[in-house]
Amino acid sequence: MVADSISSEHGVLVIESVSKYFYQLCAVDNVSLSLKRGEILGLIGPNGSGKTTLINIVTGVLPPTAGRVVADGVDITGWKSYRIARAGLARTFQRVRLFGGLSVVENIIVAAMSVGVGRREAFEDARALLAQLRMEHCADLPATALPFGHERLVEVARALAMRPKFLLLDEPAAGLNEEESGELLRRLSAIPAEQNLGMLIVDHDMHLIMRLCDRLHVLDYGRTIAEGTPEEVRTVTEVVEAYLGTAAAEEGYART
Amino acid sequence: MSMSLRLLRDRIPGASTVLMLVVMLLLIAAVTEALGSTVLSRFAIRMFIDMTLVLGLQMFMGNSNILWFPHVGFMGIGAYASVIFSMSPLQKILSLPELYPFLADVNLPFLPALLAGALVAAAVAAVIGLPLMRLSDFPAVIAGFAMLIVIHAVLTHWEALTNGPQTLFGVERRTYVMNSAIWACVFVAVAYWFKESKSGLQLRASRDDLVSTSSIGVNIVAVRWFALVLSAFAAGIAGGLFAHFITSFSPKAFFLRETFIILAMLVIGGPATVTGAVLGTVIVTIVYQTLRWVENTLNIEQVFAQPIAGLTDITLAVMLIGMLILRPAGIFERREIGWQALRALWPWTGADAAPEPAADPQVVRKAAETKQRR
Repeated sequence: MVADSISSEHGVLVIESVSKYFYQLCAVDNVSLSLKRGEILGLIGPNGSGKTTLINIVTGVLPPTAGRVVADGVDITGWKSYRIARAGLARTFQRVRLFGGLSVVENIIVAAMSVGVGRREAFEDARALLAQLRMEHCADLPATALPFGHERLVEVARALAMRPKFLLLDEPAAGLNEEESGELLRRLSAIPAEQNLGMLIVDHDMHLIMRLCDRLHVLDYGRTIAEGTPEEVRTVTEVVEAYLGTAAAEEGYART
Repeated sequence: MSMSLRLLRDRIPGASTVLMLVVMLLLIAAVTEALGSTVLSRFAIRMFIDMTLVLGLQMFMGNSNILWFPHVGFMGIGAYASVIFSMSPLQKILSLPELYPFLADVNLPFLPALLAGALVAAAVAAVIGLPLMRLSDFPAVIAGFAMLIVIHAVLTHWEALTNGPQTLFGVERRTYVMNSAIWACVFVAVAYWFKESKSGLQLRASRDDLVSTSSIGVNIVAVRWFALVLSAFAAGIAGGLFAHFITSFSPKAFFLRETFIILAMLVIGGPATVTGAVLGTVIVTIVYQTLRWVENTLNIEQVFAQPIAGLTDITLAVMLIGMLILRPAGIFERREIGWQALRALWPWTGADAAPEPAADPQVVRKAAETKQRR
C-alpha cells in the first residue's frame, strides 16, 4: 500500500485526521497524533472530550467517520478488533472487563494464545507477569474473586501477554485509591522501555500524568487543543492549564 | 511460588476428570450387561445416547452460553442420514420407496454409516452456522429456535429421504449397551479436551465479555462456528445410535419434547462443566424413567378412577424451575469432578492435603468489599 512519509514509518502508531460522528454529534474532530514504540503518551481532557472514542476507533470497536489509523506501516482502518489485536495493539478498558468465568491465569494465557503464543510459553509468560505483579498466589482464583485494584493489574497483564507493539490504557487508575494508583503507575512506567512498546495512557489525574508521560495530547470537545511535553503543555499554554484546573476541580480530582 | 500454576498446567493433559467419568460410565455399562435385564438395558442405552447428545450440547452451549435449540435437529439429521447409509437396498425399497437412485444402492457397515451420518449433520451445521454464529444473545437464541423449526419441517416433508411424517421402519438394530457407552465415553473426552483447548478457552472468554474477547485477538465467529460443528457431529452420532436402537421412528422424535429433556439435563447438571453434562443426564434419566414407570404402573393397576397423565413432564419441569431458582448454574457450577475435588470432600485428609493456594488476607478481605460495592 502507498502511504505518506509519516504513515509508512515503522515502530509508530499514527492516527491521521480521524473524525467520528454519532449522527450529528461530533465526538472526535480531525484528530492526528502519533505514538512511537518505547514512549509514553498521555491523552487527556475532560469527560466527553473523545478520549475513549478515539481508543475505540484505533482498536476497531468503532469505525471512524473519516481519517485513518496506521500501525507500524500497515493501514488498519476499518479492520475487525481481533485482527487489530493480532497486528500488535492491546488495550485495557475504563471499566475493567475480565473474563469472570476463567481463573486469573486463564485470563492471561487466553490472550497470549489468541495472538499465536503456544500453550507452554503462554503459561511461562503468565507466571512471569504474575510474579512481576506479586500476584502468584492469585493464579488459580476465579477472576471474580479479585479486589478491584488487582483486577486492574490482571487486565494490564492480560494486555501485556499479547506482547503488543502498542498498549492503550483507558484510565488505568480509575477507582483506585492514591496509594494503589501510585503503585500501578510506578509499575507501568518501566514497561515501554523494557519491552519496546508505545504506551498511550488516558487519565484524569494530572499529577500522575505529568510525572509519567514523555508527551501529552490534550482533547476538548473532540478537538486537539494542545500537544507537547508536559512542561510545554503546562507552561506554554496557560489557557489549557487553567481549563484543566477547572475541569479537574469540578470532577473532584484536584490535588493540592 | 509456581506450585499452583504447575498444578493447573498438569491438570490440562492430566485426565483425572475424564478418567473418573469414563470409569463410572463403563461400570454402569458392565453392571447392566451383567444383570442382563432387557428393561434395564434399554434404559441404559437411552441414557448413553442422551449423554452423547448432552455432551455435544455442552461443547457449544456450555462454553458459549448461547441457549441453543436446534441441537436435536442435528440429531434427526444424523439419524436419517445414518439409516440411508446403512440400510440394505432391498429394505430401502420397502422403507424408503421414493429414495433417489444414487442413494438406493449405498450400503455401508454400521460404523462408517454412523460416522457418515454425523458428518452430514456437521456439514449442515457448518453451512447454517456461517450466518447464525454472527448473532449473540437473544437474536442467536431466537434464530436457533427458528432453525429447529426449519430442520423439523424439512425432515417432515422431504419424503424421498425421510418417508415424510410417517414412521421410518425396518432399521437394523445395531446399538447396544457397550457401543453406546463407548460413544458417551469418547465424547466425555472430546468435550473435556475441547473445553481446555485454546478454542474452548476463547469461547469461554466470549461467554463473559464479547468486546474484550475481540480485543485480545479472538475471532469469535470462527471459534463459535468450530464449536457448533463439533457439537452437531456429536448430535449426529447420537442420532445414528438412536435410529439403530429404536429401529423405527418419525421426525416427531427430534422436536420439542426431546429438546426440553436434554436442556433440562444440561441445565440441572451444570452447563459449564463436562461433569455436569454427564451427571445431569444420569440424574434426569433416573428421575424421568422412574416417574414414567410409576405413572404406567398406576394406570395399569387402575389405582385412580381416571388414568393420570403428564406427571413425568410436570415433575421434570418443576425440578428444572427449582434448580434455576436455587442453583442457577447447575449442580456442577464450575469445578469438574477430579482428584482435587474428591480430596477436598474427603474429611480425613485435613486442610493441608488440599492444594489450595495460600489465601492472601488482603485478597479475601477486599473480595468481600468488592462484592458489596457492586
